Amino acid sequence: MKADRSVSEINYPPGDLAIWIFILAELTVFAIFFAAYAFTRLQHVELFNEYQLTLDREAALINTLALITSSYFVVRAVSAIKVDDRRRCVYWLLAALCMGMLFLLVKSWEYVHHYSEGINLSSNIFYMFYLSLTFFHFMHVIMGMVILVAIAVMAARGKYSRQEHTGVESGASYWHMVDLVWLILFPLVYVMR
Amino acid sequence: MKRLSDFIGIRPCTLIYLLLISFSLATFLVGKLGFSGLGMSLLVLLLALIKGHLVGSYFMGLGGVRGVWRWPVFIWLFIPGILIGMAFYLSYQ
Repeated sequence: MKADRSVSEINYPPGDLAIWIFILAELTVFAIFFAAYAFTRLQHVELFNEYQLTLDREAALINTLALITSSYFVVRAVSAIKVDDRRRCVYWLLAALCMGMLFLLVKSWEYVHHYSEGINLSSNIFYMFYLSLTFFHFMHVIMGMVILVAIAVMAARGKYSRQEHTGVESGASYWHMVDLVWLILFPLVYVMR
Repeated sequence: MKRLSDFIGIRPCTLIYLLLISFSLATFLVGKLGFSGLGMSLLVLLLALIKGHLVGSYFMGLGGVRGVWRWPVFIWLFIPGILIGMAFYLSYQ
């Protein structure tokens, strides 16, 4: 029995297999979005380069650092539960949630700023991609935070342990996926020209 | 054999975190200093793909997985990476 468990741990990714199917489906959608952005830019290079300069790169950097830091905190939360340290696991998850909240606040501030300037999906094709791509990701951050809250509550109630922490690993994998997507989105939309 | 993180005396995940932060700052500086062009775009893309690989391997834990499940994130990075690189290359032709 023990041997079977060790084999399954090596051959399968951390967390529930179902969350990985979901993650791969999400990643595929984002990949199509990224390719569509890059090939549409090909037809409107000057327009994309001009309007990219109107974006707030400092805000995007803060958001990048916030997501990377939150992912790191989630890694520490998983490490904590693996040694049965539930209290520390909850603290790391709460710290990750704070970073997620920072991301939402900064991104919302950007959206408010764009809205006040009269920018919307119909403004031009660059803003159409920028707003839809970042808002789609924004919704995934919210979804990831809901999952992190759920696993933090479960961890606080003692539902996870060194032996059984699949839920923590599943939630962590989803959150890392959110981070992973932003790591491509940030240079593609804000920097590459 | 000692790993780099053992030598420095920090956790491997902390070392990866510091690398991710450094690469992100480098990417930001490229934009802030106004660098552009095909070479710079591909360099920034390469940095992003390396960051993605680090997240997949070390944060998601796929680096320690054997068999097919080791590769999905790597493949996910590779395919859009090639397509984005190709689109930027064509935009300079």
